[in-house]
Amino acid sequence: MSNSAGMLYGGDEIGALVFDVGSQSLRVGYAQEDTPKAEIAAVVGVGTDANQVAEPMDVDKKPDTQNINTSTENTKYYVDTTVLHAARKGVEVQSYMKDGMIENWDLFEKVLDYTYSKCIQSDSEYHPVLMSESPWNTRTKREKLTELMFEKYNVPAFFLVKNAVLAAFANGRATALVVDSGATHTSAIPVHDGYVLSHSIVKSPLGGDYISMQCKQLLQGMDIEIIPSYLIGGKEQVKEKEKPKWTRKRNLPEVTTSWHDYMVKKVLQDYQQSVLQISEVPYDEKQVSSLPAYHYEFPNGYHQDFGSERFRIPEVLFDPSMALMGNTMLGAGHIVTTSVGMCDVDIRPALYSSVVITGGNSFIQGFPERLNRDLSVRIPASMRLKLISANGSSERRFGAWIGGSILASIGTFQQMWISSQEYEEAGKSQIDRKCP
Amino acid sequence: MSTDVRDILELEKAAPEITKESILGPQDAKKKKFSHVLTPRSSRRPEGMAREVFALLYNDNKDAPPLLPTDTGQGYKQTKAKLGMRKVRPWEWTPFTNPARTDGAVFHHWRRVADEGKEYPFAKFNKKVPIPTYTDAEYAQHLQSDWWTKAETDHLFSLCRQFDLRFIVIQDRYDEKKFQKRSVEDLKERYYSICSILHKVRKLPGAEPKAFDADHEKRRKEQLARLYNRTPEQVEEEMTLMTEYRKIEARKRERDKKTQDLQKLITAADNQSDGTKSEKKTVARKKFTQVRPKIDTSVIETAGIKFPDCKSSGVSVRSQRMKLPASVGQKKMKAIEQMLQELGIEENPMPTEEICQHFNELRSDMVLLYELKMVLQTCEYELQSLRHQYESMSGDSKEPKPAASTQ
Repeated sequence: MSNSAGMLYGGDEIGALVFDVGSQSLRVGYAQEDTPKAEIAAVVGVGTDANQVAEPMDVDKKPDTQNINTSTENTKYYVDTTVLHAARKGVEVQSYMKDGMIENWDLFEKVLDYTYSKCIQSDSEYHPVLMSESPWNTRTKREKLTELMFEKYNVPAFFLVKNAVLAAFANGRATALVVDSGATHTSAIPVHDGYVLSHSIVKSPLGGDYISMQCKQLLQGMDIEIIPSYLIGGKEQVKEKEKPKWTRKRNLPEVTTSWHDYMVKKVLQDYQQSVLQISEVPYDEKQVSSLPAYHYEFPNGYHQDFGSERFRIPEVLFDPSMALMGNTMLGAGHIVTTSVGMCDVDIRPALYSSVVITGGNSFIQGFPERLNRDLSVRIPASMRLKLISANGSSERRFGAWIGGSILASIGTFQQMWISSQEYEEAGKSQIDRKCP
Repeated sequence: MSTDVRDILELEKAAPEITKESILGPQDAKKKKFSHVLTPRSSRRPEGMAREVFALLYNDNKDAPPLLPTDTGQGYKQTKAKLGMRKVRPWEWTPFTNPARTDGAVFHHWRRVADEGKEYPFAKFNKKVPIPTYTDAEYAQHLQSDWWTKAETDHLFSLCRQFDLRFIVIQDRYDEKKFQKRSVEDLKERYYSICSILHKVRKLPGAEPKAFDADHEKRRKEQLARLYNRTPEQVEEEMTLMTEYRKIEARKRERDKKTQDLQKLITAADNQSDGTKSEKKTVARKKFTQVRPKIDTSVIETAGIKFPDCKSSGVSVRSQRMKLPASVGQKKMKAIEQMLQELGIEENPMPTEEICQHFNELRSDMVLLYELKMVLQTCEYELQSLRHQYESMSGDSKEPKPAASTQ
């Protein structure tokens, strides 16, 4: 026992924080825990209204930022669901992410400030930080992020890992093909021995947001008005497919279109999550119509059954020719085979034998089953195919974060961090060498 | 045992057992106190603790010592939690440096106070693949190549160091803008050729590093790729071909076996007659047998009955020699019985030396005869069936017959 002291399970906790930066949300928590402490939407409400003061939850501009001109001093930032979902006059919703990468650094800083003060409730200089990034992150952005963490937040150590690698780690694999179906895109990322093979990444822009858009079009086509819940003052029970009876909330401030759209999207996402399903075999109108319909009620009280359309919309993910906007894109099965086909012949069996499914969009019912079927048709029969998708919703939802939590609490990992000393000596350019 | 039952039934404990100590208790209180510290308290369940939970706790003096010495130790019982058996060892949030790091960065972690001053336990896992280095002079003298510049070689070696010879990753991260695109085999070939050249030049001890055959690897990968890129139709075609081939093989084997069996019987018959008939005929026989293809003589032995040699040590009854060996099947035994009855010979004659020998020979011949008859039967049957086949195939049945009869 004394020999292995401090080496229990090969873990060593040094109080590190794990940030998983996604297009939909930012997950944050302490390493060695099994779920993140907080999940914060990747959008920030930006208001220029100076009259609304003393919001308890918002994060003000730090007074030490003198380089920012005075006109923005009254700018308020609304971070996290509670404050963001309250209707306010003139608050624009902006995302700091674009294409899986951090785009708006000011907003991202606001979110980080909020995270440290409200979720972590501790100072940044005590906690090493492990952050995830998209596999196609650019060098300049990585360096900028490193600089930000060391210069502004004074973190003692920092590390960047590709989120696909973390998702593979979360499922106990160092070599895997990660199928990440997220908000903005679906991608296949080969991971070999813990390194992403960047030349073999294949991605398509068909993700959760595209599905939401399709849902919106469908509902508009069916003449169903989508009323976000903030507008609703009261409603009455109505019969199926009957015109809803609801009253508008009074005294609502003048909200911006971007905020309204954001709230509409929330409704759509709920619809998407609860109604949509992917059929196990290629879409067939006749066969699908025999399956049970799903009953859904909108916030304004309107409700009806949804039958074959709930299969038709997500079918796009596997068969892009269903989309009207041209069929140059690849379906999920095709993405996987193309990506593996670009890898070295020797590692192809290893990749196929652990296909890890992650990302929020993969939660559409039937996604893993359909992918399994599509792949088993496509790949050679001699190849062993195994799909790994965590069953528990939080395990798959926070896949990359959990991988980060595992990685940052492994004893042998503690030599990998870029420490503040190293940063001072060699600068931000070492990020490419230290965190490949 | 009785306390267990009481526990389960949640009865009150019986009146405390009367022992010497309980009576003399107060008198040697000092001694009792002393023993209390040294040995763990006798098993007394704390108030409110479930009996089952208590049973999981480690307890030294609960079980009686075994009557027999055992080498299994405590077996599974060792896993019982030794709660409260040791002093609590405190943990502390302490700063530490990791010797595996080059910068001496200080992190904090929880550590036992007792382990203070020890080296960071995970540092020993910091293994690096030894990658050789070369000097400019060495490069100029030995490592020049028409295909590789020094800058590119340097780039390759730095990547090898960074990725610990994971060539697939190295190929992925290779600077293709600055240098040309290289395949994994090219990289491996360059790296291993440099390694072996350096090894030779420096006359290092130990075996020479293994040579890398890039061409062979390339061909292997091409083959693999071709194998993976087969269309389902091709795969199916191959499968059907394979099954067809296996069928043909099986049929061929069956035919071979049949002819061999036949051959075996014929030769056996020849040999048998050789033994019994006079020697003058052997010359003619020899000629005759030479015409036939030679067959392994060891196979011949199996025809007829092979009686075991009764040469086991000790005394044995002679009638034992007439016993049919177990290898003779039920059918053959029946056939022997029947033939003996026809010849009017009793089944168990008096086992004198001579009778024994002759009786055994006779029965061996009987079996051979039986087998030959059987073969003849099958051959005739086959001939018949083939004739039918031929007739049905040639359409008109009567044509071949007269031709055969005229000859």
